[in-house]
Amino acid sequence: MDYLFESIRAAIELISTFDGEIQKIVWTSLYTSFYAILLATTIAVPSGVALGLTQFRGRRVVITILNTLMALPTVVVGLVLFGIFSRQGPMGSFGLLFTPVAMITGQMVLATPIITNYVLSAVEGADNRIINTALTLGATPLQAHMQLIKEIRFGVMAAIIAGFGRVIGEVGVAMMLGGNIRNSTRTMTTAIALETSKGEFAFGLALGIVLLSVALFVNLFLNLLQQR
Amino acid sequence: MKPILSLTNVEIQQGSDFCLSIDTLELFAQRSYALIGANGSGKSTLLRVLALLQQPQQGTVYFNSEATTTTEQRQQITLVEQSPYLLRGTVYDNVEFGLKLRGLDIKERRQRIHSALEMVGLIELIQRKSDNLSGGEIQRVALARALALQPRIILLDEPTANIDTNSVHAFETLLAALPERGVTVVFSTHDHSQPQRLGSEVIQMDNGNLFNRADVAPKSTSKNLKENKIWQCLMNVHEN
Repeated sequence: MDYLFESIRAAIELISTFDGEIQKIVWTSLYTSFYAILLATTIAVPSGVALGLTQFRGRRVVITILNTLMALPTVVVGLVLFGIFSRQGPMGSFGLLFTPVAMITGQMVLATPIITNYVLSAVEGADNRIINTALTLGATPLQAHMQLIKEIRFGVMAAIIAGFGRVIGEVGVAMMLGGNIRNSTRTMTTAIALETSKGEFAFGLALGIVLLSVALFVNLFLNLLQQR
Repeated sequence: MKPILSLTNVEIQQGSDFCLSIDTLELFAQRSYALIGANGSGKSTLLRVLALLQQPQQGTVYFNSEATTTTEQRQQITLVEQSPYLLRGTVYDNVEFGLKLRGLDIKERRQRIHSALEMVGLIELIQRKSDNLSGGEIQRVALARALALQPRIILLDEPTANIDTNSVHAFETLLAALPERGVTVVFSTHDHSQPQRLGSEVIQMDNGNLFNRADVAPKSTSKNLKENKIWQCLMNVHEN
C-alpha cells in the first residue's frame, strides 16, 4: 500500500514541477490527436450528413460496415498502415513510418468511422423540417445543410469528443506507426506502457493522471457548451 | 396579365397513388387564394411545390414565367408550415435568419424584426428561447419570420389551426391586408368560411386534383380592417 501512496505522491510531484519529459510526451499526444481528429472530422461530418440524408441501394451495408469499423482493433489499423508506410510498402518512399504523420494517419483511420456513425445518428434523429425551413427562408442547399449541422451541433460535438477519446487513449497505432521514439513520437499511452515495464511506476502514474485530466477537461468543455 | 406562379401537368406519385395531379393552375400577383380539401387531399404537397421546395416528378412549375428553380426565385416565396420548425436560439435569431441570408445590414434587420414581431403581437418575447414557446406562439413567430422577409408570395399551411380563437381575428386581418400591400397569399384551411372572410379565391382539392374553383370576388379591405391596429402597423411597416 505504501508503494502505491509513494508512487501517487511522486506522480503528483512530477506533474506539479512541470517535468520536461512529461510535458513533451503530453504535447505529442495532444497535437497528434488534435490533427487526427481535425482530419477525421473533415471527412466524417459531411459523410455522416450525406449518409443520413440520402437513400441508396446498399446503404444498410455501408452502415453495417461503419458499425464494424467502430470496433476496429488499433493493432489491425497499425498493422495495415505499417505495411503501407514500411520501406517495401506502396508509400515507403515517403519515409513516413515512425513519424507523427504516420501516427496521425492511423488515428484518423480509427476516429473517422466513430465520428461518421455518431453524426449519422444525429442526422437521423434530427427534425426533418430543418432543411426545408432553411430553404424556404432563402438558404442555398449548402447553407441549408450547414444549418442542419448547426441545429445538431451537440450531437456533432459528442461525435468529435468520442473520436478524440478513442485516439488519445489508444496504444496500438501509436506504438506500431510511431515507434515510441523519445522526443518525437512518444505519447502518453506508449510512455505509460514503456515506463511501467521499466519499473518507473510513478512516471507512468503521472502520465495516467494527465490522460484522465485531459478526458475530464474535454467532457467538461462539452458540458459547458451544451448548457449555453 | 401573366400569372406570378403557375403549374402545368404537374404530377407527384407515391407508390401507385397520386398525391398531386394538376393540369393547370395559375396564381396571379397580389391576390389571395384558399386551398380547401379534406386531410390527405394534397394541400400541403401543393404548397411545397408552390414554394419550390418539392420538384414534381412530372410537369413544370413556372415562377414569373421561368421554369428554373434558383435560390433567388425561392427567396421571393416563403412557406409557413402547419407545424413550423423554429431554429435553435431566440425568437430574434429566428426572424433574423432569412434576413442575414439576404445580406441586409444590422439596422435594416433590427427594424424588420421589430416590425414583424409587433405585427404578430410577440415583441415582448423577442429574447425568448424558441424551445420555451407555446404552439400558438411558434405559429406566430413563424409568420413574423416570413413577413420580415417581405416575400412576393406567402404560403401558409393551415395558419390558424394552432392558435386560439381570440388571435384568429388578428391573424386573418393581417392576412387580408397582405394582397393590397403587394403580397400574393395562398393558404390552406379546413374552415370553409375563412376564404369569404379573407376575400380569397377558393381552390378546392380532392385526392390531389383540383376539382372545382369557386371564384369569390375579393372584398375590398373594409373600414373595419383599416381601423384595426394590426392593419395600421402593417401599413406603417411597408410605408417605412
